[in-house]
Amino acid sequence: MPSLEFGRKATGTGYTLVICEKPDAARRVSDALSGGAPRSEIVDGTTVFRFTRRGEEFVVCSAQGHVYGVSDPTEERSVYPVFDIEWYPSDLVDEESANAARRIAAVRKLAAGAARFVNACDFDVEGETIGFNLLRYACGGREGSALRAKFSTLTREDLVRAFDELKPQMGQGLARAGRARHAIDFVWGVNLSRALSQSPLGSGHRYRTVSIGRVQGPTLGFLVQREREIREFVPLPYWKVAGVFDKDGRRFNADYSKQKIEEKALAEKVREGCLGKDAEAAAVKRSLAQVGPPVPFNIGDLQKEAYRAFGYNPSRTLQVAERLYLGALISYPRTGSQKLPPSIDYRGILQGIGKAPEYSTLVGELLKSEPKPVQGAKSDPAHPAIHPTGERPKRPLDSSESALLDLVTRRFLAAFGPTARREFVEVILVVGEHEFKLGGGRTVFPGWMKHYGRYASYRDVELPVISEGDRFRVVDVLVDQKFEQKPTRYNQSTLLEKMEKEGIGTKATRADIIATLVGRGYVAGESMEVTDLGLSVVETMLKYAPSIVGTGLTREIEEKLEAVEGGAEGEAALLRETVRSIANQLAHLSANEEAVGKELDSALMATVAKSSVLGRCPVCKAGELRVIRSKKTKKRFVGCSNYATGCRASAPLPQKGTVKTTSKPCERCSWPVVYITGGGRPWRLCVNPGCPGKGKR
Amino acid sequence: MKCPLCGREAPADLCPYHLAAKGRVEAAYPQWVKAYGRMEWKEYLDNVKRNVQTGQWAKEIAEFLQGG
Repeated sequence: MPSLEFGRKATGTGYTLVICEKPDAARRVSDALSGGAPRSEIVDGTTVFRFTRRGEEFVVCSAQGHVYGVSDPTEERSVYPVFDIEWYPSDLVDEESANAARRIAAVRKLAAGAARFVNACDFDVEGETIGFNLLRYACGGREGSALRAKFSTLTREDLVRAFDELKPQMGQGLARAGRARHAIDFVWGVNLSRALSQSPLGSGHRYRTVSIGRVQGPTLGFLVQREREIREFVPLPYWKVAGVFDKDGRRFNADYSKQKIEEKALAEKVREGCLGKDAEAAAVKRSLAQVGPPVPFNIGDLQKEAYRAFGYNPSRTLQVAERLYLGALISYPRTGSQKLPPSIDYRGILQGIGKAPEYSTLVGELLKSEPKPVQGAKSDPAHPAIHPTGERPKRPLDSSESALLDLVTRRFLAAFGPTARREFVEVILVVGEHEFKLGGGRTVFPGWMKHYGRYASYRDVELPVISEGDRFRVVDVLVDQKFEQKPTRYNQSTLLEKMEKEGIGTKATRADIIATLVGRGYVAGESMEVTDLGLSVVETMLKYAPSIVGTGLTREIEEKLEAVEGGAEGEAALLRETVRSIANQLAHLSANEEAVGKELDSALMATVAKSSVLGRCPVCKAGELRVIRSKKTKKRFVGCSNYATGCRASAPLPQKGTVKTTSKPCERCSWPVVYITGGGRPWRLCVNPGCPGKGKR
Repeated sequence: MKCPLCGREAPADLCPYHLAAKGRVEAAYPQWVKAYGRMEWKEYLDNVKRNVQTGQWAKEIAEFLQGG
C-alpha cells in the first residue's frame, strides 16, 4: 500500500514535497503535520515550510489558484479561428497572474531535491487540475506517481488523518475533466469573442471586447428571455373579493373562495349577493403538519440562503466561505453534497460548537440523545455537505464572516433538530351560494426552528376560535381591483438556481459567470436588467449561431465532462467535437460579419451612453448628470448634459474602481447615488460633495 | 428601415421587440373589454400606458398607437 511508505523512514535521498492550493492551506498543513513548529523559508519570493515528521523531512509549498492556463501560441490576439492550444504559465496568458512565475520557479527548484510528491490541493476538479499541472510541468512529470492527500476541512485531525491515509492518484478523472473543461472553454470563448469583437471593425466601426463564453451564452439567454417577457408585458385586470365578518363583536377578514375574478360585473354580483346577509361556518378543518428540518447546505443552497438572509450575491458568499474554510472554521465549501456522513464526527463538532455561549443551550439539547442529522438527496463523492468544524476563530472575523459562520452553524444544528409541528385551521364561511375562506396557522412545536433561529421564516397567524354552525354577520364585502404582476427579473440567487436546474456551469464557476455578465455590461444594476448590448448579443447569436445561447450543447458538454470526472475516457474526442461545433458556428458568424458588426455596434453605443447617465440633474432639473472623462486631465467627474446651455452642476468622482448607477437619488439632496466597485468592498456614494448627509453615516 | 420607437433595425414597420409588444397589446384588448364590460380602444391604450405593471416596450407601443 502506498500509504505505508510514508510511515517508514525515507530510504532514498530527498524530502517529501507537498503541494497545496493556497498559501493559507500550506501553513495549516504544515502546522498540523509538524505539531505546530514548521520552519518557514523564502524560495523565489514565496514562503515554504519545512519540518520533520516521523523521521521524514517534509517541504510544503503552494500555488495560488491556477498557475497554468490555456492559450494559443500565436502572438496575434485578433486572429481567429484558434484551435492550436497549449498550457502556459499563467503569467504569460493573464496580466493579473504575475505571481504565477514565482510560484512555478519555487516549485521547480524544490522539486529538484524531492524524492516523493504529495498533491494536497483541494479535492475537486479545479484543485486536481492545479495539482496535476504543477506536478506535470514544474516537477518533471510526477503527476502519475505523486500521492494524494484528501481532506474536507483544514482541522488538525482531518489533515493528520489525510496524510496517514495517502492514496495513489487513481485515473485522475477530475484532473482530466478539469483540463478538458479549461481547453473547451478557451477554444469556445476565444474564438467567439474574437469573432464578435472583430465584427464591428469589419463594418468600419469601433472595437470593444464582446465576450461570449460557453456557459455565459445560455445564461445571458435566460436573462434576455425574461427581459423580453417583462418589457412586452400587458397586465390583465382582475378583482379580488374579501368579506368582513362579525361574531360577538370580533371581526374577521376572509377571502372569497375564487382568488381572481376576471370580470368586474361578476365581482360586484358577489358583493350584492352577500351584503345584508348572515354567514355560517359550514366547515372547520384543523390539520397538523410535520415540518422536517432543512437539509444540510451544498454550495448552491448556501448561496441562495445567504442571499435571502443577508443579500450577499453568490460570488461574495463563495469568497467568504473560502475564507472560513481556510480558517478551518467550516468544511470545503465547493461541494454539491447535502449529506453529512458519520465520519465527520457529529458529537465532536457539536461539542466544539457548544463551547460558544450563544449555541451552548441548543447543543446541550441535541446531545441528550445520539445525534443523527437529516440528509438531503444530492451527494458529492469528493466532499460532505458544508458544515462547521466546531473550532473557534483564531482571529477576529469581519461582519460577513461572522454572519455566514452563524448561518452555517445554525443550519448544521437544525439538521439534528427534531421535526417541527404546525397547526393549520381553515374555516369555510357560506353566504347563500358564495363561499369565503378564513385561514390561520401557528407553530405548536418549534423543533429544529429553534436551532435555525432567525433563518427559520414561518409566520404565525392567530387562529380564530370557531366551530361549525357558528353564525356571523356580514359587515362588508370589499371588491378590490388588481392587475396581474409582470414577471420579476432574476436576481443573482434565482439566476444561480436556474443555472443549476438547467444543468449548466459547475458549482465552482456559476457565481463567476454571473459576475462576468455584469462586468461585461450585459446586465446592469442590482436588478440585473439586461442592457441593449446584452439584448443585441443574444439576438445576434440567435440569428447567426443559435446553439451558442441555447442550453442543449452546453448541457451535453457538461454531461460528458461529468462522465470523464467519474473516470470515463473520451476527453480528447469531446474536445474534437467541440472544435467542429465551434468551427461551424464561426463560419456562420464570419459570413455575416458586416451585419453582425452593425447590430452590435449600435447596441454598444447605446449601452455606453446609458451606463454613463447617473440621473436627472437636481440643479437645472432638465439635464442629466453623466460621468465625463476630461480630455485634458483624463480624470473622470460628474457633469450636466446642459453644460452648453449654462448648467454648471459638477462633482468629483473617485478615480479608482467602477462607477455603477443606482436608480434611487440621495434622500437628503436628490443628487444621484452611485456604487463604487472593484478593489475592495463595494461602497455607496452620493456624488454631491455638499450633501448634508456626508459624514453622518 | 429603422424602428420609429427605438432606432433598431426594423424588417417591417417596427423592430422585432416592438412588433412582439404590439401583438401583446392587441391580444389583451378583448380581455380588457370582457373584464370591464366595455372599453373603447383609445381608453384601453391610455390605461395600458399608465399602468405600472405594463412593460416598457408595451407602453411605448400603446403611446405609438394612440398617436396613430
